Parts: sequence; structure tokens; C-alpha cells
Amino acid sequence: MEPILIIFWVVVGGLLASLGAHLLPVGGAPAAMGTATGIATGTVQIMLGAAMTGLFTAASAATFTDSLLLVALSGAIGATVMICVVMLMANILYTFGCGIVPVSGRVDVDPLTKEPQAPYKTPQTDGHGVPNVVFVSGMLGGFVGGFGGALMYFALLNYADFTAGTAAIGSLSIFVPNAIIAAYNIRGTIEGFHDPKFKRLPFAMVTSLVVSLLCGIMVVIASYLTVGGTM
Amino acid sequence: MGLIVVLLFAWMLVIAFLAFLACTFEDLESDIGSQSNPNSQVQLAAQIGQVNRFFNKAISGEPLSNAMYCATAGTIAWLLLLKLEPLVPGEEWKAAVLAIPIGVAVAAAINIIFSMTAHCGRTAAQKRFEQPIYLDVLYGHLLPIATHAFMTTFFITCIAYIQSNLGTLSGNPALNHPFALPLLGFIWGITVGAIGSSTGDVHYGAEREFQDRPFGEGKRVVYHGKITRYAECGVRTQKDIAGFCAKFGGPITGMTFGLIILFENWRSLVGMQLGGYLPNLAASAGNSSVTWAIVMGLIIVITLAVVNYVFVRWVRKKCGPFVGV
Repeated sequence: MEPILIIFWVVVGGLLASLGAHLLPVGGAPAAMGTATGIATGTVQIMLGAAMTGLFTAASAATFTDSLLLVALSGAIGATVMICVVMLMANILYTFGCGIVPVSGRVDVDPLTKEPQAPYKTPQTDGHGVPNVVFVSGMLGGFVGGFGGALMYFALLNYADFTAGTAAIGSLSIFVPNAIIAAYNIRGTIEGFHDPKFKRLPFAMVTSLVVSLLCGIMVVIASYLTVGGTM
Repeated sequence: MGLIVVLLFAWMLVIAFLAFLACTFEDLESDIGSQSNPNSQVQLAAQIGQVNRFFNKAISGEPLSNAMYCATAGTIAWLLLLKLEPLVPGEEWKAAVLAIPIGVAVAAAINIIFSMTAHCGRTAAQKRFEQPIYLDVLYGHLLPIATHAFMTTFFITCIAYIQSNLGTLSGNPALNHPFALPLLGFIWGITVGAIGSSTGDVHYGAEREFQDRPFGEGKRVVYHGKITRYAECGVRTQKDIAGFCAKFGGPITGMTFGLIILFENWRSLVGMQLGGYLPNLAASAGNSSVTWAIVMGLIIVITLAVVNYVFVRWVRKKCGPFVGV
């Protein structure tokens, strides 16, 4: 049944979008001043940037493949490449432009590489730069977010029979509220999966489920009304 | 004329080069008008008594404002192309040469309107803190802001045009990107803004905005709002900032977007080549092309992670633990 498929994939895509936004290291405005760890921009903005890059690649992949998994993986890898390059270049800017050592402000020892963080941190700041655990968390966040966005695009394109442009705008539009839910949940900044704020994830997942379900139902109605029916 | 694979790769490299320039100018546009995250300090400065001559632009976050300019420019360019291309059959580039600059000029005009209203509105709201609206700051920065915005939007619109016509330019229209020009402009506007906001703003916010603080430390919470107002040549304005950030922050930001575009397009095309999809667009080779592209993307991602690990270790060893109070 196509409507069930549409709603199912939209819900999964929305949940993944919210999860990805929790995993992405968002430093917000303080990070741009070297006062907080993470990428120096807002949650929704960096998540959108990554997901859009993934969507671009997924859209061109969708023109010559019918496999849901391959299209979604294209989107995921595209988003991951974007986030990785951004984080690496941000580190280069922090280091050579401002003389700052990348350290985390939420843990005393990096959970992955076991390097001490506290001795390298500037006093009266909450960490700065993109240390290794934050980088890995960003990679995962980009992968998951890009996967969700491309998944929704494929569902809208092939099951709801939207055109490529409409499917892109549709998946972007469903993506944004899910990323905003994550932004509300983390209250602006998060360092990644090692951050204590990450434990608030289940609240966002429930909200995201409800929102994505509503969006999925709207897509089915829109598809039925305009394109003439997947019912 | 069939598909010329070399042309496909050549146009892809042109796109990567344009992307480099686009994001350089995007970062400088947000430096010459103080947008996005570091502008929170400019806003705060007046509120804690630090009257300043900064151009308090902050229209919105950079991804959204750049998406607005690029989508506007893309839409107008696309409409003009729709009308002009039938007049020059076989030589569509002539239509593009006229349509793209006109579309981008309209977007730049919109930028001037937003910049003026944003600065006047934000500064007028700080009247109680005795922050004046300096008219020479207002008039003197509008044209530089519009110029930088013109450059950013121009390059992004060119990228969108080439991508939506990549197949036509290389001989086979089936390889055109499925998104229309305005949508591609919108997508890359968001991306270029997200990159400029997350990378380039650091040079402005952590270095130039607090130039009189020690180099080599994150900016402490107690410094917030106390931006550098008296500088090398008298009282600081955005013109001093853009010139400084153009030496490091701008090019690094440009390189970020250029590398991203390069990696994305290059791995897709090489995947198509290795999978056998080119030059005849064999339908059976679609899955293997995408698989190759995914594998190359994974290799790129793992390489970047390793480079970051080595880089962070090198920095920690070179700089050592924090010294000072």
C-alpha cells in the first residue's frame, strides 16, 4: 500500500533528521568567539546545509538508480563529506587564525582518544574548536541526517509521484521542523553524543514521531489531490 | 554531438573553482556588514556602554539570507533565460551572459534594502544606550556590502546554471541535474551560508573583533561585548575588518566550499565513469555507478577523519597546555 509506505518512510526520515541534529556538534554564537566547542553556527542551519548537500547528490543518483538504499546512502555520504570538510577547515581556522587548541568543555578526557582536555582549555570558556570525539559525533550526525533527508526525497519522488523539485522542497520542509525540534531540545548548543544533553534525546524522538506522522499524512493527501492518487 | 566526457569533467572543475570564489566572498560579505554570530557581540557592545562604529547588519542567519539572494537571482535569471533562449537557438550562452548578471543585480539591490533597514532598525533600538546611527558608516558601507553580495550571488548563480545545464553543455541533456536553476540556487545559498557562518565567522569573531585580546586563547565570557573599537587607523569600522579577514578567513572559507563541491561532483562523475554509465548512459550501470561514488565518498570521509586526528595531535603538541591566568 503506497500511502503506508509514504508515511512510514517520512516518519523514519524525520526521526533520523532529529537524531542527526542531536549528534551534530553545534556551538552556536559562542563558538564563533571561541567560547564553546563545536561548529560555530545554529543547529538548523548546519543541519540544513549538510542535508542539502546530501540531497543534491541523492537527486542526481535517483535519476539513474531505483534502489532506495543506494539513494539514501548517497545522501548520507554527501552530508558526511560536507560536515567533515567544514569541521576540518574550522579547526584550521581556530588553530592558525586564532591560536586556539581544539578541546572539549564537557568532558575532562576525550572518550575516544583518551587525551586530557582540561589543561588545554582557556579558563572561563566552555571549550573551543572541534576535538576528535566531536569530529566523530559530527560525522555520525551528518550521515544520519543526510540518510533521513534522502530517504524522504526518494519516498516523495517515487511513491508520492512528486516531481524532482517538489520532492526536494517537500523533503526539505519536513526536515526543517524535525531539526528545529532538536534545536529546542538541546537549547541551542550541544557537543555530540558525549555531551550530557544527549540524554534528552527520547523527548525529541517522541515529538519528531508525531510531527513526521502529521507531515506524512499531509503528503499522502497532497499526492492524492494533485497527482491523482496513490490510494 | 554525443556526450564528451572530458567536457563533463572540465565543467565540473569550473564549478569547483567558482565555488571557491563564491564562499570567499560570502564570508567577506558577512564581515563587511557584520552578520551572523559575531554580530551578537556588536549588538551587546552598545548595550554595555561601548558605543561603536560597526555596521550592525544581521539580516538573519547567513544560510537563510544567502538562500534568499541566490533563489531570487536564480528565479529572475531563469525567467529571463526562458524568454531569451528561444531568440538565440544554438548559442544559449548569449542569453546566459545577459540573464545572470541582471538577476544577480536585483538580488544585490534587495540586499541593500535589507542591510539599510536592518542597520537602521537595530541601531535605532539602541537609542537608550546612546548608540548613534552614524550616517557616514551607513552610506559608506552599503556599496561594499552590495558588491560582495553581488559576487557571492553571481558565482552561486553561475554554478546553478552550469549544474542545471551540465549535460547540455557536454553534449547530452539527459545529464542535466533534475533540479531547476532557482532550486539549485536555493540549495547552494543555504550551503554557502552555513559554511561561511561556521568557518569564516570564527576569524571575525574570535580574532578581529577582539584584536586587542591575547592571541592564543578562546574569548572568555567576560570579554563578551567589549569589542575592539580603537584600532590601527583610528576608530574601527567594517572596512578594517573585511580587509583583515580577506587575508585568511575568506580564502579558508572559500576553500571549504570549493573542496565540498569538488568532492561531491568529482566522486559522482568518477563513479559514473567507473560504473560504466558514461558515455552512453547505460541504464544497467546505474547501481554500480552509485556504489562506486559511495565507496569513494567513504574513502574521502575516513581520510578527513584521520587528517583531523593527526592535526589535533600536532596542535596539542605544538601549543602545549594553556599558560597564563
